[in-house]
This record gives sequence, structure tokens and C-alpha cells, in this order.
Amino acid sequence: MFIKFFETLRAKGLRVTLGEWLTLQEALDRGFCGSSLTQFYYVARMILVKSETDFDKYDMAFEECFKAVQRETEVGAQMLRWLDKSDMMELAHEQARDHLNKTEDLQIDKEDVEEKFRARLKDQDSEHNGGSFWIGTMGKTSFGNMGGNVGGVRVGGQTGYQSAFAVVGARKYRDFRDDRVIDNRQFQMAFRKLRQFSSRLDIPETELDIDGTVDKTCSNGGCLQIVMQKPRKNAVKLLLLMDSGGTMIPYSTLLNDLFQAVHKSNHYKDVKAYYFHNCIYSKLYKTPECENGDWIDTEWMFRNLDSDYKVIVVGDAAMAPEELYSDTGNYRGPNGGLSGYEWLKLVKRHYKRVVWLNPKMAPGKAPWREAETAIKEMFPMFKLTVDGLNRAMVKLMANR
Amino acid sequence: MELQGFQGTNDYVASEELMASVNIAIALKKPLLIKGEPGTGKTRLAEAVANALGKRLIIWNIKSTTKAQEGLYVYDTIQRLYDGQFGEEGVDDIARYIKLGKLGEAFDSEEQVVLLIDEIDKADLEFPNDLLWELDQMEFYINETKRTVKAKHRPIVMITSNAEKELPDAFLRRCIFHYIDFPGRELMEQIVRVHFPDVEEHLLNNAMDVFYAIRSLRDVRKKPSTSELIDWVNALQIGGIPADKIRSALPFVGVVVKKDEDLELVRHSDLS
Repeated sequence: MFIKFFETLRAKGLRVTLGEWLTLQEALDRGFCGSSLTQFYYVARMILVKSETDFDKYDMAFEECFKAVQRETEVGAQMLRWLDKSDMMELAHEQARDHLNKTEDLQIDKEDVEEKFRARLKDQDSEHNGGSFWIGTMGKTSFGNMGGNVGGVRVGGQTGYQSAFAVVGARKYRDFRDDRVIDNRQFQMAFRKLRQFSSRLDIPETELDIDGTVDKTCSNGGCLQIVMQKPRKNAVKLLLLMDSGGTMIPYSTLLNDLFQAVHKSNHYKDVKAYYFHNCIYSKLYKTPECENGDWIDTEWMFRNLDSDYKVIVVGDAAMAPEELYSDTGNYRGPNGGLSGYEWLKLVKRHYKRVVWLNPKMAPGKAPWREAETAIKEMFPMFKLTVDGLNRAMVKLMANR
Repeated sequence: MELQGFQGTNDYVASEELMASVNIAIALKKPLLIKGEPGTGKTRLAEAVANALGKRLIIWNIKSTTKAQEGLYVYDTIQRLYDGQFGEEGVDDIARYIKLGKLGEAFDSEEQVVLLIDEIDKADLEFPNDLLWELDQMEFYINETKRTVKAKHRPIVMITSNAEKELPDAFLRRCIFHYIDFPGRELMEQIVRVHFPDVEEHLLNNAMDVFYAIRSLRDVRKKPSTSELIDWVNALQIGGIPADKIRSALPFVGVVVKKDEDLELVRHSDLS
């Protein structure tokens, strides 16, 4: 049943499994959705989608599959309402309403209804009940609540479920998609990833310290005394190199956030951060202002920060080819006799783990961005999004 | 079939979607995974469900050091070793040193219970995977005593997560998922009224205006949540602040806004 929906969901990148699909079938079998499309929307979502970041994809798949159904149900519901005359007490009342509805043009087209609604919203200046034109209660226009017209726009009043299509249309979960550029909180989350692959520092004493136990037991006259110790830790050391060049100015808040996030995640053994301007040359700056003199030698860094540091370079890799390849390419400071490209190669040689995060990375190979393409070949480059950062963290922790 | 069961309680206002999720999870006998912004009442939901259904609530609070095994049972070897040294009674009875964890307690209970596994994302990455079998089959085996603990009544399992870590797919597949949206104005008003039935209309309106205005500020670092609004309304009532002062003077705004940078920001922005 609905196999096309299943396929569309998978095509939209949702990893819906057969098991979940069967669970949904069970829910349908047992009638949890009633015969309502809106209920189906929620029930299917709670069973098939397991992250709010995927709600948007789900919404789009749902719209694609059931858009046609939506129109039919609307007409169907109206027809049913007309046909449902079993309650004789209400007959006269219903007929009167019916009549009114039929004489008015049938307002099934949603856009048309909305347009009229907006126009009338603009013109109306008082409360109306039981009328046939204004927005109010008990009336017969398509607007307001408790009205006789069923295909209209509801205004205020008690709301139950949000209609599936109101939710879909609003795409209210778009902000949760994890491929958009990230904010500070999400940065911190991503950096926690780096922790979970390392051994934790705040671990309690859970290992038996054999030497300590033997010592204590002996000095205790042979009566057993147990000594516990913390498991050996293998803490992550992090080196952050950030581009602070002109083309990075639009991303300065982003960089600031990244910096804050790294400093807030105090579970690293050591964090060092230096700045560079467009490309790494013989000097690295201590502050994002990149003022001449306020710097360290890049070679000093190589000597003092050993190869176990995990290096995150953040930069847009947008530079003129000569800035990368010429040994006089640094127009702002000393080159140190090597081109930027050579310096980057030294970084790569010295450190075992380097990733490059780029806030405006071009997808795939981009021949018009020569420097970026060259750097991409040297370092694994990721776009600075939640998704990219997460993948970068995995790359940093993974074995070569 | 008409779904019966959880309909919210007197002091917990649940949206219809949330109620449906709870009831479907119960009906399908699957764990319900709840995510949402901090302060949207994820943990309180389990209390409310337990109350509404008249069942006992067992809370298993997860910390960064929690291991899956601890939820099942712990074999207190060291105690046994010490006892052995001094020749205590019953050292040969291993069962004396097996202590059931929260999950074990829920399985072993004589009646159906609600089990809340709180903040599952705090634990190690492998943690949820280690519980797959136990949550599926609702049983586990104690090696030391050769005993199988099987759930007498399948507990209603609710799991909360703050999305600090991604949960493994294999685990997610087995859950029913619900994301608690931040409550809109109408629902929020209802929630506050549940806590303070006689709150003054004007005061509540002004407080909510300011609250949503703060939430909508773009640069605010930590958005205030439902629980903070409730605390604030409480403070405003106790302090006897006139409603029309709220917007201009922002009394007790420290209850709503916790960070220094945010306080600065709020003081200097136009909240109208």
C-alpha cells in the first residue's frame, strides 16, 4: 500500500527501512489513522522519520505523493456533508445552509478562497455573526469559524491537528535541515563528536589498579584493600588555523562562533588557535586582526606543537593563483622563501590529521577557483555546515 | 479503532499530535523517543503519562558515564570479596550481590510501569545499541546466576534526547519519534494557566509579548523556554509588579535571560 510514497521518501534521502514501513502498515491495519489524511501524515511521520532535521524532506515527499488526494478529499468532504441528512432535526437548518452555499459560487479553489479572505480581512472593521459576506461565526462564507461552509479558511477558534497541508505548505521544519550553515550551539554539538571518539577525561575510577592494590594490601597486613584508578586517557589536542582575510569578512560571526564553541568544549587536552591571511606563510598571527609583529613563526609551531595535534583549517581558499604558488605571493607579510603552497605542504607533512573547513565551498571540482581546487587535493575539504563539520570530525578521528 | 489512553493531565498540557504519538507508541508497543528544545517538557511528559494512566514511574537518568549494563544489573564483586574475607553469612549466594538496575526493576515489576530513560544522548555513542535486544525482547540474562529476567508486563518506555549526539540508526528504527515543537501563543497561554489558574490577564499578555519578543531577537544566544516563562510569571505575581511596567522596566528579567551577553542585548533592544 502506498508503495509510491515509500519510494518517494527514499528518493528524497530519507532512509526509511522495511521494518519501519511494516510498522506503519500495522498502524494502518489497526486503524490508527482513521480515514484522515492529516492523521496519516502525523502517524506516518512519527513512525518513519526519526529526526526533526528530516521533517522537511518528509514534508516534500508527502506533498509530492498526496497533493492530488488533497483536492479530492476536500470535494469529498463537502459532498458528504451535503449527503449526510440523517439527522431530521437539523434538516431544515441544513437545507437552508445548503441553499446558501449553492447559490454562492462553490469556493473549492484554495487560492481563490485565500485571496478573497485577504481582501475581506482588509475591508472588515467589525464583528459579524450569521452573515453571508464578512468573516464571522455561524455564517455561510468560506471564512471564520463554526460556519456552514466546509472548504474555507478557518479563523481562530479551537485548533486541533494542524492540517497536514498547512504544515507541509509552511515548510516549518526547513530550519532544522542539517545541510544549512550552522550556528554556535550546533558548532558545540559537532565538537562534542570529537570527544566521543576520544577516551573521556571525566571518567570515574573504574579500573583495578593492580600495583596499588598489592601495595595497599601488603601494608594492610595481608587484608585485601582494593585500589581503583582512572582508565588511561588519550586526550585530543586541537590546533585551529583560521583565515582572517578580506574575503572571510562576511563569515566573521561564523568564525567567532566556531572559536567560542571550541573554547567552550573544555574536554580537549589542549587547544591552540592561530590566524592567517588568505594562505599560510612563514608567520601565523595570534589575533584575528592579523597585525604585523603580533605573530609566531610557523616553524615554531611545527617544533612546539607535535604531530599529534589535530588540525582544523578554516578558510574560503579563495585566493589568486600567485598568492598560492609564488614565493613572493604574500602581499601582506613575509613569505619566508617558500610559496603558500609549499607551506601548506609542510603543514600536511607535519600533522597526521588535517581537515579544511570552507564556508563557501564550490561543489565538486571548480576549475574557475584554481586555488580551492588545488587545496582540495591536498586536504580533505568540507563545507562549513552541520553536516560538513560532522563529517570533518569523523575524518579527524578516523584511522588513516 | 479508537485510540484511548493518554489525554493530557490537569497540570500537563499536551498537543494533540503529542497525545497521538504517546497512544500509538503504547498501542504498537514501541519505545517513544521525544526530542525538543530544552524546557519544552520532555521529562515532565513521562510523569504526566504515568499519572494519567495510574502507573508507577521509573526514571533512569543517563549521565555521560552511564553504561547500558548498569540499567540491567550490577554484580557487586568487590562487596562479595570483602565479605568473603571476613567470612560473612551468605557469601556463597551470588544472587545476594546482584542488584537490578532501573531497566531490570521495570521488567521485574509485578505491574506495568512507565520507564523513562532520560537524556539518552548524554551517554556514550554505543549506549543505545547495547540496549537494542533488551528493549526489543524485554528480557535479559544474568550470567552469574543463570537467571533470565523477563518483563512480566511490557513497560511503557519513553526516551528523551536533547539531540546532543546522533542516535544510531538501528536504535531509531525501533522507536516512535516525536519532536515537541516550541508551543505557540495559544498553547503557551494554556500551559501558563495550568500552573497559575488565576493569573491576571493583562500581566500574562504583557509577559508573553516580551517573552516572544526576546525569543525572536536574532542574536540571542540562549532562547528562553517554557519553564523560564513560568518562573517569570511566578516572580512577577509574587513581586506584585503592575502589568504595564513589565514591558518598560523588564523586572526580574534575569529569570528569563540567563547569559550576560543576552541581558545586554535585551536591555538595548526595542521589545515592542
